[in-house]
Amino acid sequence: MARAVSIRRKSLNTFWAWLVALILFFPILWTVLTSFKPEAQAVASPPLFVDFDWTLQNYRDVQAQRAYFGYFWNSVVIALGSTGLGVLIGIPAAWSMAFVPGRHTRDLLMWMLSTKMMPAVGVLVPIYLIFRDLGLLDTRTGLVVVVMLMNLPIIIWMLYTYFKEIPGEILEAARMDGATLGKEILYVLTPMAVPGIASTLLLNIILAWNEAFWTLNLAVVKAAPLSKFISGFSSPEGLFYAKLSAASTMAIAPILILGWFSQKQLVRGLTFGAVK
Amino acid sequence: MSSHPAAVQARAGISLQQQRARAAFWFLAPMLVMLAFVAAWPLLRSITLSFSNASADTIFNGNWDWAGWKNYVEARPRADGSIRWRGVLVDPKWWNAVWNTVRFSVMSVALETILGLLVALVLNAEFRGRALVRAAVLVPWAIPTIVSAKMWGWMLNDQYGIINDMLLQLHLIAQPIAWTARPDTAMIAVLIVDVWKTTPFMALLILAGLQMVPRDMYEAARLDGIHPMRVFWRVTLPLVRPAIMVAVIFRLLDALRIFDLIYVLTPRSEGTITMSVISFQNIREFGKYAEGSAQSSILFLIIAVFVVLYIWVGKVNLTGEGGR
Repeated sequence: MARAVSIRRKSLNTFWAWLVALILFFPILWTVLTSFKPEAQAVASPPLFVDFDWTLQNYRDVQAQRAYFGYFWNSVVIALGSTGLGVLIGIPAAWSMAFVPGRHTRDLLMWMLSTKMMPAVGVLVPIYLIFRDLGLLDTRTGLVVVVMLMNLPIIIWMLYTYFKEIPGEILEAARMDGATLGKEILYVLTPMAVPGIASTLLLNIILAWNEAFWTLNLAVVKAAPLSKFISGFSSPEGLFYAKLSAASTMAIAPILILGWFSQKQLVRGLTFGAVK
Repeated sequence: MSSHPAAVQARAGISLQQQRARAAFWFLAPMLVMLAFVAAWPLLRSITLSFSNASADTIFNGNWDWAGWKNYVEARPRADGSIRWRGVLVDPKWWNAVWNTVRFSVMSVALETILGLLVALVLNAEFRGRALVRAAVLVPWAIPTIVSAKMWGWMLNDQYGIINDMLLQLHLIAQPIAWTARPDTAMIAVLIVDVWKTTPFMALLILAGLQMVPRDMYEAARLDGIHPMRVFWRVTLPLVRPAIMVAVIFRLLDALRIFDLIYVLTPRSEGTITMSVISFQNIREFGKYAEGSAQSSILFLIIAVFVVLYIWVGKVNLTGEGGR
């Protein structure tokens, strides 16, 4: 009897959960479907869901007209480069705050986080001028650096919360055994913090991939990533919705694939380990 | 081996500690320098520019002059003795942007919190296909805002959009609506997209709080025959309130600076232009560097006040120390 009730309740829960998922996922699904339609059928009324003439033409057109892979490669370089560099700088900094806390560690963390809350437009002109003076406008190096700097507070904060969960005694034991500081961090701390570091990497790759304000303002052509590719996508004449959908699908596909394989770490990362 | 191992160890211990303290400093130094480089210094320079008359011609060669408070507010006497007020603080366009920002922030955060709580409650229950559902729910958050803005712009299109088509079929509207173009619906369009994109994130943060409520508690309440709604109000909500507070404040600070969604979805709409967008347009599109800098400085001040208030009043556990 009790079992029957719980099965019924589970089915009801399943229904609600799937409904929520469907509503949230629908716009993506619709975009992906549209990307396989001929332009004329993309705007058909009533909308066509599966019974249209499936085609890959939009993808070919988008690559031919807009050179998708150039933007894609820039996005990859910026996302991986900025995250990798950020973690390299972040690990020692987070080590300092977690294991050698001083009187000002807390203030420092607060200040670091508050820089994240600053409106980007407030620092646009000065940073643009610095970039121009250093010859970094429209270069991948410049974008890697700026995106890394924007995400650095989050990287350090995440690493700090993970490092704090590692007992300091283990590091101390390594020191007593004669490990140097570099070895202590590289061979003792880092391997223990691998799940935390993985979550940090993933979350920040996604944040860097989605970054738009700085890439739009500091890149022109050479270093332009997918944000530029999509924002430039509009055409005053003719139908372009299927092509726009194909372009959108191509811009989000890498993130969806990465996210799918790493959902667990991602959820952990977003909630700082609270959701397992 | 030394004859006094203890003494050697003690000496080594002290020098090790010193070495660590020094290393800690040098590990933090690059981060501090870099953050000062992207945060503190540019901010000061922006504030400086807001007191200048820098324009598109002078910003790049540095030939601008000081203008005092003129960009903020200035009284100009007319020939007939009356006074004409100028500057950002008396500009109706600026106040319209302030109003839009406040309107957007309050409505989006309220909607996202309520819906986020509902979604979190659904996701916290036992159901089949957990992994798949969770992945699907996370997707809107994970994709770039620019892409979602473009996607929704098309779905909300008055001629070809599927949203109008669905609403027509359901007889909720009599004729298609140009959601993003009409001044009275542009804000609704922006809210729909923002709620769609951010509710999953809210739900996840609240879910983190929900997962700390022991399951036995629900079981016990159920066996005692307590109504689920009562359990929700008396047990669940008080326990997740800290998680919700943190999420709300983070979102509010985000919403106050909203830029890319509005800039792509409803550019040029008086009904949705926000503080970030108006400042950006003045700087990048009209070359009004001084005025735009004044606007971004005010926005920074408003956000700074919120951040300080929040750290001071909330004592919210930002650094993850103590219980979580």
